[in-house]
Amino acid sequence: MNPRTRQTLEFILDNLVWFMLVFVLVVFSILIPNYFQLGIFANIIEASSVLGVMSIGLALVIIAGHMDLSVESVAALSAMAVGILFCSSGIGLGIQLQPQWLMVPVSLLIALAVGGLIGAFNGYLVVRVKMSAFIITLASYIWVRGLVLVISGGRSAQDLAPAIRWFGIQRLGGLPLTAWIAIACFVVFSLIMAKTPFGRHLVMIGGNETATFRAGIRVNRNLVIAFVLAGTIAGLAGWLLAIRTSGATANLGVGLLFNAFAAVVIGGVSLKGGVGTLPGVYAGVLLLSAINTAINLMGLPANFTQVIHGLLVLAAVLLDAFKQTIRQRLA
Amino acid sequence: MSEPLLVLDNVAKNYGAIEALKGISFSIDKGEVVALLGDNGAGKSTLVKIIAGGLEPTSGRMLFEGKEFLAKSPAEAKAAGIETVYQDLSLCTNVDVVANFFMGREITRKVLGIPVLDERAMEQVVQKALASAGTRIPSLRTNVEHLSGGQRQAIELNRFVHFGGKLVLLDEPFAALGVEQTRRGLDMIRQVASQGIGVVIITHIMQQAFQVADRIVVIRQGVVAGDVARNKTSPDAVINMITGETLAGAGPAS
Repeated sequence: MNPRTRQTLEFILDNLVWFMLVFVLVVFSILIPNYFQLGIFANIIEASSVLGVMSIGLALVIIAGHMDLSVESVAALSAMAVGILFCSSGIGLGIQLQPQWLMVPVSLLIALAVGGLIGAFNGYLVVRVKMSAFIITLASYIWVRGLVLVISGGRSAQDLAPAIRWFGIQRLGGLPLTAWIAIACFVVFSLIMAKTPFGRHLVMIGGNETATFRAGIRVNRNLVIAFVLAGTIAGLAGWLLAIRTSGATANLGVGLLFNAFAAVVIGGVSLKGGVGTLPGVYAGVLLLSAINTAINLMGLPANFTQVIHGLLVLAAVLLDAFKQTIRQRLA
Repeated sequence: MSEPLLVLDNVAKNYGAIEALKGISFSIDKGEVVALLGDNGAGKSTLVKIIAGGLEPTSGRMLFEGKEFLAKSPAEAKAAGIETVYQDLSLCTNVDVVANFFMGREITRKVLGIPVLDERAMEQVVQKALASAGTRIPSLRTNVEHLSGGQRQAIELNRFVHFGGKLVLLDEPFAALGVEQTRRGLDMIRQVASQGIGVVIITHIMQQAFQVADRIVVIRQGVVAGDVARNKTSPDAVINMITGETLAGAGPAS
């Protein structure tokens, strides 16, 4: 195989998800009436903001060669914390701060802190106690969701303070500010992963942890930071979720983990670690969102989405394995 | 040279009841090449890992440049000036040549106070380092998984030559190299030593040891079985030390 064919093939493999996204959008635009509109595309981006933010954190940890199953529950707990404090009906305490805008940074900080703490807990156990990240974060996935049920008593909080909800209502260039927050997160973390030593080190740790340790990279420190980041970002996703639903319910965000997981894998992140980029993950998120929108427009019962997402996860993992075989052929 | 670069004083390592190293003592001077020989399982790699900070000794002490020294991590050893090339390659195959060359000590420039990788500067350094060593790698931006075993080892060897430090530990560095590359590798070692850097090289190939080393240290069953200057011994004598036919350190043979 000559170098140019190889380069082309590798380029396609590296950016497969973007090609898939374009393909899906074109097909839907042709086949589904009313799909091809700016409003629909804006809606696709808007609907993917919570999932997108959550996927960033998950992707960071998977790229570093580990796993974080707790992101969904962490987002729910952060959303519930914000909901209970700043909602005025249901179980909301309706705390008011003067001036009103002060509630924005305070609620955001609370959401991020909740996430960061659980992330630090996960990271500590993975690094110090050397337990499998899969098991630890599975446990967190369960107990954090349990905590949401405990503090809410199974009830919900409604009517989030208008100053906070403003982010979900105010639009800029056709998109609500929450969507811009998600896009900004992708830009910032993509740059961190591609351009800073920290990002480079995470990728290398995912590739060969022993080698990075021998090279003097502080592997444990980097891994703990990755878990804390994943938790914090999940906290941000929870904050966005609370804004989006104007409150929080006990089962808020159930199933998001598997969508995030699908987006990350479809986005080209290898579950073996060390491979994948965040722009790809964003394309994966948009792809899922585009499919959801199509299902809605076609008037299929919403329950179909779950079937399709399940199949997509399966397809993504198969695709991951398939890509690895091709890569080995190339090598 | 007044004081030795590194002194090992009765360094021992136990794994439970198993004594991998029973008490190793020898020293390395600046600019000296020491070949560490011994049969499989004699404890050579264990010893290298202890010096390089990958393992902690059970007992004994080390002096580095006359000061008490014990690296708790490879990062500490590296900071002290000890470079290591391991037997199983320590490369991340999922990133490119440049990223591997600078693993853990990337060149950065500050953008708004945030360290950002300076890819161009790093690529230039790698280009120069590889060119001066005569290593040909088609593109420095290909991931290492696409390179041959020899090219991979060349990256590691060039890495230690470039970063230098004070002491270099090489654990069977030529296992994947061809004849010509091995010769160049041996040249590299002499060149590094001539800059005043101490070199410890583990090898199984007697010929290599005699080509490059100033002194030969033989380890057998966790103790030093022989420590001789190269020009005062012969391959046969060394083989006897490795297999234990001459009972060095066990009293005179009757």
